[in-house]
Amino acid sequence: MAGPVQSLAIVLAGTFLIPLGLRILNGALPGADVRDSYLPTVETPRPREPFDQEAADNVRAIQPHYAVIGDSMAGIRIDPLQLTRLTRTRVVGLFHPGSPVAYWYLAFKNLVARNQLNEMRGAIFFFRDDQLTTQVQVTPGVLDRVAKDMEPELDRVLSANRFGAFSDVYRVARRVYQYDRTRLWLEPLVVRAPAEVVSGDPAALAAAINTEVFALERLRGFAASDLAQGSGAALDVASTVENSLLPEIIRLADEAGIRLAFIRVQRRPAADGPPPQSDALKAYTAALRAYLESRGAYFHDDWGDPDQPLSAYADGDHLNSAGKVRYTERFAERHARFLQ
Amino acid sequence: MIFHSLDFIAFFAIMLIAYWRLPLRAQNVLLLVGSYLFYGWVHPWWPVLLCVTTLVDYWAARRIFELAPARRSPILAPRAPTPDPRRKAWLWSSLAANLGLLGFYKYFDFFVANVAAAGAALGWHMSPLVLGLALPAGISFYTFQSMSYTIDVYRGHAPARTNFIDVAAFVSFFPHLVAGPIMRATNLLPQVEQERRFDVAAVRGATVLIVWGFFKKLVIADNVGVIANKVFALQQPDFYVLWAGVFAFAIQIYADFSAYTDIARGVAKCYGFDLIKNFERPYLAAGPADFWHRWNISLSTWFRDYVYIPLGGSRRGPWRVGANLMMTFLASGIWHGASWNYVLWGAYHGLLLVLARGFSAVRMPAMLRPLRMLAMFALTCVGWLMFRETEMQQLLADFQLSPAASTALDRDAGLYLCGLTLLYSLPLWIHDVCEEFVRLEVSAPVAQAVACGVMFAVILVMRSQTALNFIYFAF
Repeated sequence: MAGPVQSLAIVLAGTFLIPLGLRILNGALPGADVRDSYLPTVETPRPREPFDQEAADNVRAIQPHYAVIGDSMAGIRIDPLQLTRLTRTRVVGLFHPGSPVAYWYLAFKNLVARNQLNEMRGAIFFFRDDQLTTQVQVTPGVLDRVAKDMEPELDRVLSANRFGAFSDVYRVARRVYQYDRTRLWLEPLVVRAPAEVVSGDPAALAAAINTEVFALERLRGFAASDLAQGSGAALDVASTVENSLLPEIIRLADEAGIRLAFIRVQRRPAADGPPPQSDALKAYTAALRAYLESRGAYFHDDWGDPDQPLSAYADGDHLNSAGKVRYTERFAERHARFLQ
Repeated sequence: MIFHSLDFIAFFAIMLIAYWRLPLRAQNVLLLVGSYLFYGWVHPWWPVLLCVTTLVDYWAARRIFELAPARRSPILAPRAPTPDPRRKAWLWSSLAANLGLLGFYKYFDFFVANVAAAGAALGWHMSPLVLGLALPAGISFYTFQSMSYTIDVYRGHAPARTNFIDVAAFVSFFPHLVAGPIMRATNLLPQVEQERRFDVAAVRGATVLIVWGFFKKLVIADNVGVIANKVFALQQPDFYVLWAGVFAFAIQIYADFSAYTDIARGVAKCYGFDLIKNFERPYLAAGPADFWHRWNISLSTWFRDYVYIPLGGSRRGPWRVGANLMMTFLASGIWHGASWNYVLWGAYHGLLLVLARGFSAVRMPAMLRPLRMLAMFALTCVGWLMFRETEMQQLLADFQLSPAASTALDRDAGLYLCGLTLLYSLPLWIHDVCEEFVRLEVSAPVAQAVACGVMFAVILVMRSQTALNFIYFAF
């Protein structure tokens, strides 16, 4: 019979040593030879799409003066060819629908700032509300086409956001237990098992559930469906900006001699005026403006712009085609000083 | 600070090492400072409210106690209540301060919005003053715990304490501060005051509880929580998909809440404290009364002792008992949140209890117990739909859904989501069934080591990639 101290030691040893068996399992089963991701601290090892070298070459061939970067909010507002004509400069659009700020950062780094663009003057980022500092996390795979073999700065920022001050502990734990490699083959088995019981074609069922049952147009406003969470921290610039990608974007721009502009787009207005926004969001926007302007960036907030009435919108926060032409015109006029 | 963060694990370890090197008085000071640090980690102003609540109840309890006649002992022994009006005034002051603070943060916006809506229905249009205050986590829990101290002193069940540090450490004790279990002064305060010894066997038990708690939270609750969140994000869910989501939520809320309790109990054990068990396999309950003896036990007994019994309890006629039950459960519903769906949920459970009392004379054969368990679980799930769906229009639409209108894909999707929920929750069901029927307890160190090692490995591999907050933080 073990004494109380030995018994505790046995339990603690079992807790931390038994998971080492995952390494043995990984060696015996498929999926063990997958390489680490370009974000080794936050992503499971997985196969990846290659970096889009052709896109980088195309941008270099154009040698643009300005790059407009963002998701569909930028793509549905700015016509790069029209802006090129209006400003008598060369403008490229680096748009990717539904992309996160990490994608914009990598596009800026790998296609603009470190792509030998000798005539580059400015990069213009379009964003919604608190997207720049609070929506930093990424879905695996969405960055593949703009990411190089390793992206250590992005890895650091993402791991700091996800794991706080203890990202090194997570890194060591991943290496010691190799649990991500186990997850790679075990999770699909678990998720597929009920589908195999229910349907003769589990892959088709899983695809139909994702694309039909949970189709985007079947979802309601997320704010209404989530349980109320009492957190005011998310809209605080001071507590989020240093763990965001903004300092890194600013550093890269300084390094490459590129001016930065940040345009906060107006969300879909109401019939009788601009869309409502909370006091917290107004305060956040003011603090974000102060932060960016103090670091030499240009900032503009589209909220309340009389040139963007409801009639200029198509679906959601997207402008219609006439609205896009008008927006690009007004953009060239309004920001002429930045675009000189 | 949340349990499933390395911030907490570092805090816990540092506190524990320092704690067992100190004498009792210093231990309590450290517990107090540590608890305030824990609570104010993200929102430094939250401890201010905690401090106000503690000061109010410390002072009110002392005044109530001092105003009681026939002091028998200088060390403030318990005594019977007297009809002295000043004692009652102090009690009401304490209750008003506690409930006022809770009401202001939790119910003010709900109240003014409903007054405005009622006014609009009568033709008086007004723009309500909505404060939009963030609800401090755990305020409902520590307010109730602190109030129970004052009430117990008033009733003569406990003496008022003169040592403020002890009272403040009791109210703020960090393991259970944010989501319970709600401990009574008669149980926890003596533990704060008495000498505690480091017990290696208790730490071993605590390790098993903590690992099991993390397993339930990270592997079960968070994975099935993602399913529930997806279903409840649908505008018009189908019958099968909706009820699969409700099933997922039923598992999520039990795994999540009981995980918090287990971790809290384990952490408290390491510091030499025993917190009560808050869950006793609730989904194996065979009826409404049985369910409430097993679910959130500390809250249901709080409402029993401080609301139901003072209202008259079961001592009067059946109509009055029914009314008492309904009032108690309406109060329990509104305690959960400032929204009509919680009121409805409370009323639903009150009604179930009233109906169950009506049929209590009917004796069921023991062999029907599994059927009664299944029926009770189904009734509980109906309640969880009311609890989870915060929009009343949507709730009405949900109850009108019919399986006949479902497509084959919706049916398969519902079955798939149920199957996935069942798969993730299998360890929970096995654990509860074993405890309930086999009374199986893993106590040998090697068996515990294997169980903890396997659970830790599964946590590492299968924990949800979507980190969800503990549900009861929102209450």
